[in-house]
Amino acid sequence: MKRFLKIAAIAIVAVGLLALGGSYGASYYYTSQLGQGCAGCHEMGGYVSAVHGSLHQKVGCMECHEASMGTKLRHMRVHFLGTPPETIRLRDKDVLAMASNCRKCHQHEYANWHAGPHSATYSQIFADSTHNSKRRMMEDCFRCHGMHFDGSVRDLVQPQNLQGPWHLIRSDLADQPTMPCQTCHQVHKEGTPQAKPATRISVAGTAGNDSLALFDRREKIHFAAASLAIPHLLEGARPVKMNQDARQAICYQCHAPRGSEAGSVAAANHWGPQVGSGDDRTPIGVHEGLSCVSCHFGHNENARASCKTCHPQMSHCGLDVEKMDTTYASASSQHNIHWVKCADCHQHGVPKMKAVAPAKAQVVPTTPGMDG
Amino acid sequence: MKRVNAVVVGAGAAGGIVAKELATAGLSVALLERGKWYTANDCRKDDLRNQRVTALGNAFGPEDEGNPRVLVDAKGVPHIVLASEGGYQNDAACVGGGTLSYGAQAWRYMPQDFRMRSTYGAPQGSSLEDWPISYDDLEPYYDKAEYQIGISGDYSGTPFKGPRKRDLPMPPLAPNREFEILWPAAKRLGLHPFHLPMARNTVPYNGRGPCMRCRWCCGFACEVDAKNGSQNTVIPVALATGNCDLRTECMVKEILTDDQGRARGVSYFDANGHLQEQLADIVVVSGCATESARLLLNSKSKLFPAGLGNRYDQVGRHLQGHHYTGAIGYFDFDTYDDVGPGASIAICDYNHGTPGLSGGGMLANEFIRLPIHMIDRLPENTPSWGPGHKKAMRDWHKRTIQVFGPTQQIPTATGRVTVDPAVKDKWGMPVVRLEGNVHPHTFDIGDVQAKRAEAWLKEAGAIHTSLATGRPETVSASQHQAGTCRMGNDPKGSVVNKFCQVHDVDNVFVIDGSVHVTNGGFNPALTIMAVAFYASDALVHNWKGTGFRS
Amino acid sequence: MQSKNKAVALTRRQFVAAGVLGGAALAVGCKSGNQGNWDFLSDGQARTLAAICDQIVPADEFPSASQAGVLTYIDRQLFRHYRRHRDVYREGLEHANELSRKRFAKDLAEATPAQQLEIVSALEKEERPFFDLVRRHTMEGYYGSPRHGGNRDAVSWRMLGLDEPPVRGRAQYDMRKGATS
Repeated sequence: MKRFLKIAAIAIVAVGLLALGGSYGASYYYTSQLGQGCAGCHEMGGYVSAVHGSLHQKVGCMECHEASMGTKLRHMRVHFLGTPPETIRLRDKDVLAMASNCRKCHQHEYANWHAGPHSATYSQIFADSTHNSKRRMMEDCFRCHGMHFDGSVRDLVQPQNLQGPWHLIRSDLADQPTMPCQTCHQVHKEGTPQAKPATRISVAGTAGNDSLALFDRREKIHFAAASLAIPHLLEGARPVKMNQDARQAICYQCHAPRGSEAGSVAAANHWGPQVGSGDDRTPIGVHEGLSCVSCHFGHNENARASCKTCHPQMSHCGLDVEKMDTTYASASSQHNIHWVKCADCHQHGVPKMKAVAPAKAQVVPTTPGMDG
Repeated sequence: MKRVNAVVVGAGAAGGIVAKELATAGLSVALLERGKWYTANDCRKDDLRNQRVTALGNAFGPEDEGNPRVLVDAKGVPHIVLASEGGYQNDAACVGGGTLSYGAQAWRYMPQDFRMRSTYGAPQGSSLEDWPISYDDLEPYYDKAEYQIGISGDYSGTPFKGPRKRDLPMPPLAPNREFEILWPAAKRLGLHPFHLPMARNTVPYNGRGPCMRCRWCCGFACEVDAKNGSQNTVIPVALATGNCDLRTECMVKEILTDDQGRARGVSYFDANGHLQEQLADIVVVSGCATESARLLLNSKSKLFPAGLGNRYDQVGRHLQGHHYTGAIGYFDFDTYDDVGPGASIAICDYNHGTPGLSGGGMLANEFIRLPIHMIDRLPENTPSWGPGHKKAMRDWHKRTIQVFGPTQQIPTATGRVTVDPAVKDKWGMPVVRLEGNVHPHTFDIGDVQAKRAEAWLKEAGAIHTSLATGRPETVSASQHQAGTCRMGNDPKGSVVNKFCQVHDVDNVFVIDGSVHVTNGGFNPALTIMAVAFYASDALVHNWKGTGFRS
Repeated sequence: MQSKNKAVALTRRQFVAAGVLGGAALAVGCKSGNQGNWDFLSDGQARTLAAICDQIVPADEFPSASQAGVLTYIDRQLFRHYRRHRDVYREGLEHANELSRKRFAKDLAEATPAQQLEIVSALEKEERPFFDLVRRHTMEGYYGSPRHGGNRDAVSWRMLGLDEPPVRGRAQYDMRKGATS
C-alpha cells in the first residue's frame, strides 16, 4: 500500500510538472513572434494569416485574446486529445472580454457606442418585464441581440413564459453588451492583402471601413458589409429609391422590413417588402434616398447633429427645420422624420419650388399614392 | 421510481397529446422520450444537417452512432443502414417528434379515406381495409386538434372535403408567387385550388407570434416558434398541470407484464444508460409506426412469446408511408420569391373518383427550396456536373415550381417491420428490420398523379417539365410512416381495437400513426393528432381509478 | 490485497516506458500524424482532389469548387462525419493519379484542364462509387452552408441571386400607419 501511495504521489507530481511546463511552454509558444506560434497549428493558420494581412497586423494575438492558463490548457487538450470543432470560434465570454481590449485603442468609438442604445446589456434586452410579458422569447431574438451567446434562449432566460418573473441563468452576462464590437466588425480579414490603409480597396465605391461585417448568428461567421443585400422596397406598388451605401446594409439586417407581402400587389407583378414594415425605417418623402448613416452616427444612433449638415439655419428658404413639427423636435409628432412628405404640412397643395436652376424647375412635386 | 397511472412512450405528435389529455384529466403520467428536447439552436438553419437534408446527420435525432436499422432489399439481402441514410425511413427522435421540424401541413383525411376497401375493393396482393371508425367519429377530434395545436389555412375553395363544424382558427398566409402563378392555371383547368392547411401561426395565437416567412422551414425547427408541434403546444400544458413528468433520453426496453397477462409498466434505459423500471396502471405506446412495432415485438414474455399484442402475427405488418410523385416545371420568368414556407396551394380534386384507380392523393406546390435541393432537380439532359450543371443551377433555381403529392399507398401484409435477429442498438436491443415493398397499384396511381401535376404546371406556363415517378424497390415509410399496429374489430387481422387498446392486453394502448389502417392521400400529422385526442378521450372516459369500466 | 497492489504498482522501467509512450502519443496525436494544411488529406491528395472538384464545379464568372472552399469542407468531414468514406477517397485519388500518369505521364494536378476533364470523365464511367461520392460532396460543399467550410462567403447562394443573410424582419415593430398585423 505504501508503495502504491508513493507511486501515486510521483505520478501526481510528474503530471503536475508536465502540465505546468506544458502550459508555460504553450504560453511561450502561443505568444512568441506576435502570435506566429498560434499559426503553428494548421487550424489557426487561416486566422493568423488573415489578421497579419489586416490593419491589425502589428497587434499580437494575446493583445486581443484572453490568454489565461486555463485557456491554454484547454486548447492543448482539445488539440491533442479531442476532435477540434469544425470551425474554431470564440466563446461568448471571449468575445465580450475583447471589447475592453478594443477600447484600449478605439476609445472614441467605444465611448460613442457605450453611450448609445446599441450597447444595451443582456439584462436590459432579455430580462425586461414589459417586453417579456407581451412577447415570448424565441431563438430568432439572438439574430440581433446576443448573437454571440452560446446556447438556446432557454439557456439564457427562465421562465420561458409570459408570466415571469424572469431571471438570467447566465448572470455573468447581465451587464454585458448584447451587441459588442464583433457584431458589426470583423478583425480578422481573411484574404485581405497586406497593404497600407491608404491603398485599401473601398467598399462598393464608398469610403467604407473594411472591418464592417455582420456576425451572422446562424452560420456563426462574419459576412462583409459589401456582400450584404440592400432590400428593394416598395411603397404600395411604387419602388422606393434606395441608397446603395454598403455600410447601411448592416443596419438593414436588423432594422429589416417584413417578407414580401403579396396579394393584390403580387398579382400586378410587384413583389417585394413594403417600406416601413417590420423594423424598417427607410426614409421616404422628403428624405427618400438617404442612407441610414447620412444622419445616424455609426457607433451610437444619435442623429442630433445631422440636420444642420444639409439644413443650415440660414438656408435660402429661411426655414429652421429643427423647429418644424417632426419627430426630430417632438417624439409624438405626426410627422415622422423618416416619412415626412411636403404634403404633410402643405395640405392644400405644395407650393411650387422657387426656380433655382432650369432643370429643377420642371420637377412637379407629386403626392405618391394619390390614386390608391 | 414512483408508480404512475400512465406511462406514455414517445413524446411526439401523439404522445404529447395523450400525456396532456391524461394529465389534465388528473392522471399521473410519466412521458418517456428517447431523444432530447432540441431547440432551433441545435440546427441554426443548417442546409446540410437538418431533418430533410441529412448529409451531415439528423439534426433532431436519432444519431447515426448506435441506432442502426436493417433494410431488406428487393433481392432479400439485408443492409445495415445509418439513421441519416434514406433507407432508414427515419422520422425523428426528440421531444415533439416529427412535429418539431415538419413542414406542418395539417390535413384532415376525407371520409372515403376511412372506407378504402368498401369504396374500391382490395387490389390483389393488398391488405386494403376499412377503418373501424369513420370520418364522423373523428370530426370532433380533428376540430380539437385544429384549435389546440393551431392550424391556419382556408378550405373554402374546395368541395372535396369532409363536413366540418367550423372554420380553421387562423387565416392562411398571404400568397407567395408560386400560389399566384398556380391559382389561375388551376382555375382554367376546372380544378378547385385553395390555401392548404398548416400547423403554423399566421397571426398571434397561443401566446406565440406569426410566421416570418423565412427560407428554412420543412426539416427545421422554427426560430420564431410559429410552427406548432406537440413540443410548444400540448407538452407545456401537460407539464404545467404538475401531473406529467417528462423524461428525455430515456429509451424504453420493453413492456413488463404480470402472470395474468396485464402490463405492469415498462423498463427503460435512462440518460445515463441505467436500466430503470416505471410501474404504471396503463402503458401507452406512441413511438411512431416503426418504433412502436419494435417495442411490442421486443416485449417478449412467457405469455407473449412472439411479442406483446402479436398473438396473430399482426404487429409490424401493413407498413406504409406515401409514394411521393409529381412534376417539376421550368419557366421563362422568375417563380421564386424567397418567401417561406413555400407550400401554399393545393388541390384535392384527384384524391378519389378516378376510374380504375383505387385512390389518389392531394397535389400541392413544394416547400421553399434550398440550393442543395436543386442539384438533382434540373431539367432532363442537364449534365450532372461541369459548367453545364453550374449554369443550369443559375438558370433554373429561381424559375422552377415543383408540384408533388402523397399518393395514398395500397398496404400489403408483407410490407412490414420485424426485429432483426442479429443487429442490436447501443442499448443491446434488437433493431427495426424493414422488409417488403410497395404494392404495384400504388405506382399506377402515382404515375397518373405525376401527369396531372405536369398538366397543371404546363397550364401555368412551364416551358419544360420533368416527371418525378420513383419506383422504390423497398418498403416506404419515412416521415409519414403508419400502419404497423392496425386498428380493427377482428383480433386476428389487427393489433388494437377501435379505441387503440391492444386486443388481448386491456391496459396497453398504441396511439400513433401505427394504428392507421390506411394513410390517406395527405400528410398524416393532423390525423395522428386527432386519433390521439379521440383515443385519450375514450381512455379517460373508461378509466375508473384502477381499471376500466366494462 | 497484495496482488491488487501488484497490478497498479509500476516498476521504474515501466514508469519511464509509460512516460515515453505518453509523449509519443502526444506527438502523433495531432491529426492522425498529418502535419500538413489539412485535417485528413495529405497535400498531394488535396491537389488531386482539387483538380477533380474543379471539373465538377469549374470556375466561370463565379468561383470554382476549390476557390469556394470545397476542399476544406470535404477534408473536415473526412475527419468527422465522413470517416466511413476515407478508404474510398484514398483509393479513388490514388487511382485518379495513376490514370493520369498512365495517359499523360504526369499527376492529375499537373495535367492541363482538358486532360483533367478527360480523367474525370473516365472516373465517372469506371470509378462510379468514388466519382458519385466526390460529386455529391462537392455539391454539398459548394451549395451547402458556409459554416462547414465550403461555399465561402455564401458565394454560391449569391450566384443564384439569394440574399445571405436574407433581410427579414418581423411584425411587431411595424410603424406604418394603419398596418394590419
